[in-house]
Amino acid sequence: MILPLLPLSHVFLGLTAIAWKASARATLIAALIIDISLLAMAFSPAAHWLSGLSVGGWVDVIGIRLTLDLLARDFLLLTVLLELAVVVYIWRQHVRPMFVILLQFLVGSVIALILSQDLFNIYVILELLTLVSFLLVAYDRRTFQIWASLKYLILASLGMSIFLLGVAVVYANVGSLGLAAIGQTVIADPHAEWIPLAAALLVAGVSVKAGILTFSLWLPDAHSTAPAAISALLSGLVIKMGVVVLIRLAAIFPLGLVLQILGGITGIGGAIYAMSSRDLKRMLAFHTLSQMGYLLIGMSTATHNAANGVLAYALAHGSFKALLFLAAGTAFDAVGSTNIAHMIHTRHLIPLRTRAALLLGTLAIVGLPPFDGYIAKAPLLAAAHGWANQAILVLIGIGTAASFLKLLPLFKGPYRRVGNDPAWQSYVILALPILLFLPIERALFGAAFVLPAMNWVIAMESLAVLGVGWLVFRIHRRTEARPPEGLLRLETATAAILLGFAAVYALLKFA
Amino acid sequence: MGWLNGTTIAMILFAIGTTALIVRRDLVIKLLALGLINSSGILFLISIRFRPQMVAPILPVPAWVPIADPLPQALVLSAIVINFAILALSLVFVMLLVERYHTTDCERIEHAVDTEKAAQESQAPEGDSQASDAERPHR
Repeated sequence: MILPLLPLSHVFLGLTAIAWKASARATLIAALIIDISLLAMAFSPAAHWLSGLSVGGWVDVIGIRLTLDLLARDFLLLTVLLELAVVVYIWRQHVRPMFVILLQFLVGSVIALILSQDLFNIYVILELLTLVSFLLVAYDRRTFQIWASLKYLILASLGMSIFLLGVAVVYANVGSLGLAAIGQTVIADPHAEWIPLAAALLVAGVSVKAGILTFSLWLPDAHSTAPAAISALLSGLVIKMGVVVLIRLAAIFPLGLVLQILGGITGIGGAIYAMSSRDLKRMLAFHTLSQMGYLLIGMSTATHNAANGVLAYALAHGSFKALLFLAAGTAFDAVGSTNIAHMIHTRHLIPLRTRAALLLGTLAIVGLPPFDGYIAKAPLLAAAHGWANQAILVLIGIGTAASFLKLLPLFKGPYRRVGNDPAWQSYVILALPILLFLPIERALFGAAFVLPAMNWVIAMESLAVLGVGWLVFRIHRRTEARPPEGLLRLETATAAILLGFAAVYALLKFA
Repeated sequence: MGWLNGTTIAMILFAIGTTALIVRRDLVIKLLALGLINSSGILFLISIRFRPQMVAPILPVPAWVPIADPLPQALVLSAIVINFAILALSLVFVMLLVERYHTTDCERIEHAVDTEKAAQESQAPEGDSQASDAERPHR
């Protein structure tokens, strides 16, 4: 009976932080201890008693089911890693109690969503995540933050309404909201009338939260304007919650083709925008979209290795994207801007450790062989079948390399000590998985899973992708072609959600 | 008028809401449209009121008594609370924007935010130009 109490404990700890202002830091530590012990329980061999539990002991039709399965275990690892890094990052800063309570709510609802096996419960927690991230994005009350987070709230709320319609359609036809019961009904009659409509509504709704084009046009603004620690959590963790729900939905409904097409659009579209963005945080936000393409392509390939590859890449992406966002935040504090040209010009003012962290994150995200970006990408490349999947993965890789090569001048000399990076310990926490991903992946998914990463053909392919990326970078630098920024406006983003839903529905119905 | 049931009214409300959300420029009207969309979801959920072979979930009721499914009604309560929170919070943020820009027009706010961002970008490099000048002799 301990499982439902764990997400709730974050809420109590958050409220404690409000009641006794001096205890804000202590609650952060307490929450970390609780989460780490939950993680230890998930990895312990005696974890079978956690494998399924109805809150309050109700039967499955009306009970809320929580499960700590393999998927939950791996995302829990990501949650604890990022929570630890962010707590270390903000430790030396002036931490206000309000910030602590929101952080606690965020982590608590993330854990609740990871464990959740009930469609309506997922809806409520996704809404809770929306509200908490809405407040956190605009935490500094700057006008562009307020505008970005208001756009986020309106679009996410529209998406969640669509999701709720999907929940209603499912309930009307299945009579239960438990994922297991829905799966059984779909297997019993896979060609029922309601399935395309319900699947399209649910997928479209959750895609708004998951950073999938054309549903998530709010993301570049919200993630690039939020405070650094929040950007790291949003891009590394909260976006992945949409992925968790999509993985659970893909296990029920036949979504292969839809995920493949969405993956192509998201990955390549995000990479194109990232190549032409001149602001570091904005580029990182666009790359949250492009890297989502890898996950979607992995999900559309319904094999065991591809499914594990999605989990591994989600873990890897969380670690290096959080590192990049945290380091970008410190760099901003040092030079007062995240404009890439300006940062390169004043690179001697950025602390050396921050530049090292940015370099490490860059090497990991472009997929250079010994780092975790490559090691997690290799199983996806090996598992992707068909020329379309391969082509999409290679194109995303080229786009990622081409846009991150812009940062290379940042790492040239002079190397002099300027100021101390106040938060370098958090980089160490995130650098550990980036450097030691091979043994971690081996421990999580078994020895056979890491074989593609040791395959020299895939290593050469990744290096070739980097080379082509360099060529694209050189060519693109001469042209002034930029994709339209107007797509990111509120009205276009709203229309894009509805059109995207119509397209997903048509695909599921007629293809 | 048999077609005019909860489901169809919910669809009509959803269509009106999304149209208004896209077409109207006023932020307050956009939020009203959002409220309409959310309400349509609630109406849709509550209109799944009865299914054949329905069994009352908690109290035993004789089979001949027609019962409404209580679960959607319970779900709707959560949805209403969430939508209330979203509307209240977003109205607060609209108030913050109105305080600074004295308008609820989306285009104007977007324009003002863009210019403010651009101004901040151009301001930052000036402040550091001296530092980079001092750097130059080293190269």
